[in-house]
Amino acid sequence: MDAQLVVVVAGVILVVAIIGSLFFLRGYSGRFTFDTRNGTQPRASEGEGNTPGVAMKGRFKMLTMGVGAVFAAVVAKLWSMQMVSSDHYEELSQQNQMRTVTTPAPRGRILDRNGVELVTNRPSLVVGAYRDFASDPIKVRHLANVLGMPYTAVRRSILDYSQSAQSLHTVASDVRMSTVAHIKEHATDFDGVQIEERTERVYPYGTLASHVLGYTGTITGEQLNAQDDSKDAAGAVRYQSGDIVGQAGVEIYYERLLQGIRGEQTVHVDAAGNVTGKAGAIPPRAGSDIKLTLDLAIQQACEEGLARAMAMGKQTGYTSDAGACVCIDCTNGDILGMASAPTFDPSVFIGGVSNDDWSKLNGETSGNPLLNRCISGQYMSASTIKPLAALAALEYGVYTSGQTTTCNGWWTGLGEGAGRWCWDHGGHGTLNLQQGISHSCDPVFYDIGKGFYYDEDHPEGLQEVYKRWGLGEPTGIDLPSEAAGRVPTAEWKKEFFSSWPDADRAWGPGDMLNIAIGQGDILVTPLQMATVYAGLAENGKEFTPHVFLSAVARDGDGDAVAHQPEELRSVDVRDQSDLDLVHGGMKGVIYDTASTASHFNSLGVTVAGKSGTGEKADDDLYAWFIAYAPADDPKYVVATLVERGGFGSTSALVGTRYVLGAIYGSHDSVSAAGGTHDR
Amino acid sequence: MSNGSRRDASADSLKRVNKRVVSSRNSLSQRVNIPVLIAVVGLMAYGTLIIWTASLSIPEAQFSRHLLGIGLGAVLGILCWRTDFRGLQNMTTVLLVIDIMVIFSPYIPGLSYNAKGMTGWIQIPGIGLTFQPVELAKIITAFFIAGLGAQYNGKIDSVRDYVKLCAMLAIPFGAVLAAGDLGSGLVIFVGGAIVISMSGARREWVLSTIAILIGLVSLLLAADSVVDSLVGRDVLIKQYQMNRLLVFIDPTADTSGAGYNLMQSLIAVGSGGFFGKGIGGATQAAEGFLPEAHTDFVFALMSEEFGFVGALLLLGLYALLIFSAIRIAYKSDSLFLKLTVVGIVGMWTFQIFENIGMCIGLMPITGIPLPFISFGSSSMLMQSAMVGIVQSVWRHRSKAA
Repeated sequence: MDAQLVVVVAGVILVVAIIGSLFFLRGYSGRFTFDTRNGTQPRASEGEGNTPGVAMKGRFKMLTMGVGAVFAAVVAKLWSMQMVSSDHYEELSQQNQMRTVTTPAPRGRILDRNGVELVTNRPSLVVGAYRDFASDPIKVRHLANVLGMPYTAVRRSILDYSQSAQSLHTVASDVRMSTVAHIKEHATDFDGVQIEERTERVYPYGTLASHVLGYTGTITGEQLNAQDDSKDAAGAVRYQSGDIVGQAGVEIYYERLLQGIRGEQTVHVDAAGNVTGKAGAIPPRAGSDIKLTLDLAIQQACEEGLARAMAMGKQTGYTSDAGACVCIDCTNGDILGMASAPTFDPSVFIGGVSNDDWSKLNGETSGNPLLNRCISGQYMSASTIKPLAALAALEYGVYTSGQTTTCNGWWTGLGEGAGRWCWDHGGHGTLNLQQGISHSCDPVFYDIGKGFYYDEDHPEGLQEVYKRWGLGEPTGIDLPSEAAGRVPTAEWKKEFFSSWPDADRAWGPGDMLNIAIGQGDILVTPLQMATVYAGLAENGKEFTPHVFLSAVARDGDGDAVAHQPEELRSVDVRDQSDLDLVHGGMKGVIYDTASTASHFNSLGVTVAGKSGTGEKADDDLYAWFIAYAPADDPKYVVATLVERGGFGSTSALVGTRYVLGAIYGSHDSVSAAGGTHDR
Repeated sequence: MSNGSRRDASADSLKRVNKRVVSSRNSLSQRVNIPVLIAVVGLMAYGTLIIWTASLSIPEAQFSRHLLGIGLGAVLGILCWRTDFRGLQNMTTVLLVIDIMVIFSPYIPGLSYNAKGMTGWIQIPGIGLTFQPVELAKIITAFFIAGLGAQYNGKIDSVRDYVKLCAMLAIPFGAVLAAGDLGSGLVIFVGGAIVISMSGARREWVLSTIAILIGLVSLLLAADSVVDSLVGRDVLIKQYQMNRLLVFIDPTADTSGAGYNLMQSLIAVGSGGFFGKGIGGATQAAEGFLPEAHTDFVFALMSEEFGFVGALLLLGLYALLIFSAIRIAYKSDSLFLKLTVVGIVGMWTFQIFENIGMCIGLMPITGIPLPFISFGSSSMLMQSAMVGIVQSVWRHRSKAA
């Protein structure tokens, strides 16, 4: 379209030129003309008369002037280039010859709180080649044979244009010493090939804490673009294509600490890119080592406990295919152990994850092993919510500490038509609130739910207390992709089910009953619940859960940055007596039921806690067990969740008990599945 | 005063004048134009120095071959100088035939030489010397078009004659273009066009012709992409020529290929500064950033090494050569020889302007050598021959000789 327009314009110019020329030329086409105005003058065509001689002189003048003009133009341009702009060109010529070559720096290690290496680096012998090497196919083939790699793969690595031409291009890593020796012996055959010692991630404990640690990978295009867009370039590490960066967990969250600073070497090059000399060099600086709050022993206990809990779930006939177990220090928010199942091996990501591995980790049937279920898994809280429901009821006077409910297994508080079962169809008899918590008696909490539903001053007082303790929002742990959970309210229901008819999405008493016992639409993460229980244990004070303990100084032994415990919130409770009641109720959970008590009596410290069993339509039961210990001076909070794991007091209890057993050095002596169906 | 003494005196003076005439006719300055000789010797010496410095870092620039070219060129120049070319005036048809044959000689089997992807070379059978015949074609065309132009005795009366002259010039020009050498074609065209306008073409005609040519060229450029897309391949202008034109308009547009060459050349010239970087200090050329530093881009190499001063010296030598040559043409009694020298002057001027201009971004890039300086024996031989011709015109400038 555009080009055609230009053609038309040029054509018009040509036509005009031709017409103009014809006009001019016609005027002089006659050989003999008579000029009547100036008299006739014969136009001599022979002999060297005066006129042609003068004309010739004029033409020579023109020619001389033309040549002079050409020389003047050249001199003027040269003047402007060599005299006026010479500095500019001088700079360009300098730039032509300078290249900056960078060398990668090792990443910082990741340690547990006692300094045990969880992630470290190991030297790897890397065979690299400069780009020129690829110009000789015979040499490349020779190298490929020596390395036992396909020719095309070697060639492709050498010609990788994501790195600057003067950088050493990695051909193979983890090369055997014998191969290295061969290459060094035949140095003349491998001119342009270099052996370098680089570092690679090593995981001494294999899959241990893989969800917390995360994994590394080659920087993605989006990440590179993101750094170009961000303005805060000062001080931040500048990445280049091919850099290894954190891609999940602590590796990505503390990328800025862990990433080393590339060394720089300025080199002189010629036009072909051959290095002709070296200038200033800055050595690479390794990334900072990071100490995590994780305690290796407790982390191992969390993983082992979770495995045992899942095994117990399976043993009792449930699917039990996934779960989470987290142990936090309620006095400061330190995450001491965090396990998620199924797990993955972070080492498959070293040097680029293969397609097979990736689809194994992300496929339909994979069970999402990359998901950290402690922070990203959202489940109904089940009965573990009951201590909060009790606090809400006490605060708003919906249910008093002296009030009782008689449970005969079938609750008809909203009429016979809307009757509901207690989990114990046999009934608990008459219980007060504290006993209601201890026995997880549903009718007590149905009464609370009903009370809130009909409380005109505080119709959502229950949800308000849940939120006050931190449900429905992320805890702010220093790990990526934490889920927020959900506290259902009337407003939420109306919006969430917006496609439903109004009547169906109206907030009903049944919704209130559900959230009072932690069923239905409420969603929490295991970490949220652990944080809530830490808050309960600390009389309302919650610390932000975190995994970062300190960054070890690059030089020397001291800590460059240490984590300061950060109070997440101090929850208002109406009266200390309310908390005492709840604490008592949670102690009762452990010790009032014989089957549960039998597991904990051997522990040596008093424990308080709560079980939970989430019911999902068309799905197995979700098992919860959260406990803190010692009950009178709490320090450790352990929350275990087993997806489709059956009853909380059966399967999840095993996990929590195992972690506490590991902490206090006395494992559960009652090994058999108690057969209790306590919730 | 007596009659006799006056006669004596006049006889004396006549004798003196005759003696002076005879001695001057045989003196060197009568046979050789000293300024042209100085300019050419200076240029060749300067070129030798430049090629020697280039040979330090560019293996292709073989210093000995350059010296050989100068030696052969000197021999050829002297031969030309001793030849009286006036006889060629009436042999225009023969000249045209020879010209066409020379231009297309690289296509003759057995002569063509296509090493390293170059075209337009012949290899003389037997001795194995390679040669670029288009350089010879320049000289033949100068004679040919001067011979035609001289027929009109300094005044072209009819448009028909003018158009005929233009058409005659278009033959060798078109032939060189067809042989694929746009740069040399333009040299021939400009030289010939100057001869035609000096032969007595009216200024209005010349201006009209220029207008038509500009229109044609712009139409060609604009239509190129359209025609290419219609036909489905590169027909009118080759892609690399189009690229050169585009980077001429904006050198930074393309940092590889043609744009790279131009940018490196600009950097080389500009970074030379006033006194230059000296021999061996020319990083652009020595480290290979500057392409073809000993041939087409030799001016950039020279400018980087010797700076503005060196460039002025070179331009001064060229100016001396060309203005002296114009003076020779002016002094010559033979219109044919006048026009021949004018053609040579036109070719030199354009070739120098085009070559230096492309190095400094004044002209688009074409592959033509810088006379007397660029490495390459074909150019050196033929430029020497041109100097020989100019000197021959000086030697035979008067009708009597």
